[in-house]
Amino acid sequence: MPYTGHCFCGQVRYSIDAEPVAARMCWCRDCQYIASGSATVNVLFPEDAVRFEGEITKLEKIADSGNSVERGFCPTCGSQMYSRTIKPAGMPIRIRAGTLDNPELKAPEAIIWTDSAPGWAVLDPALPHHSKGPK
Amino acid sequence: MPAPYTGRCACGAVTATINGEPLAVRQCWCRQCQQSAAGGPTHNATFLVAEWEMSGELASHKTPAASGNTLLQYFCPSCGTPVMVQSSARMHIASVRLGFLDEGHGLRPDTAIWVSDAPDWAMIDPAMERFDRQPPAPRPRTG
Repeated sequence: MPYTGHCFCGQVRYSIDAEPVAARMCWCRDCQYIASGSATVNVLFPEDAVRFEGEITKLEKIADSGNSVERGFCPTCGSQMYSRTIKPAGMPIRIRAGTLDNPELKAPEAIIWTDSAPGWAVLDPALPHHSKGPK
Repeated sequence: MPAPYTGRCACGAVTATINGEPLAVRQCWCRQCQQSAAGGPTHNATFLVAEWEMSGELASHKTPAASGNTLLQYFCPSCGTPVMVQSSARMHIASVRLGFLDEGHGLRPDTAIWVSDAPDWAMIDPAMERFDRQPPAPRPRTG
């Protein structure tokens, strides 16, 4: 049974034919821009298991990690859909949890880039914290 | 940090200066915000529109709200950064997304709304005022 999801307006839809491999929150500054001041909440899957439908605007940028990362969003409603690492290749795609039909499919297991979280952020002390990217 | 507040999107195409203090700074966990904000809540600081100066092209998306009003969400069409949100019932105010503001603004949410939609793993500061659903509209500034 594949997992499915869509953007706020429904223009972009996807299905995923694999189990999630991880889930984590990211407080890097790039994520706070696109997540309205929050961390992004990401569920990770093997990239080739995800099939998108609809028009997606893609933006490629060198992330704080130094990796070349592509972020995709819906041009109609602006919902952020995913980020994927172009270089180095082979890393899991990060699906934005809010777009999953079941946004609680996998709860965050770690918090990354805590160094750039705002002072008021409440970080679950039960989760591993990484000051920058995950090791 | 007192006004003016400045902000830019992730790619720099949209910039803004806000020459006033916020009427409210809130964290919203409604399901629609989780969809547009990558899974977490949105963080919104509400200002009088008359105090905004903006430049750059904005895309907007209109959604009917449960209240019967129309919700207008504005974002940068180049990088997708959410910029601000408005309700058709209160077009004299607009709420900037905190991620859009430049560092050092010093604003922090003091109220969490729509917490009934928050996921089980959400960590909500117990010091914040909470509303299960929609709170009353921000009050006019006094003094």
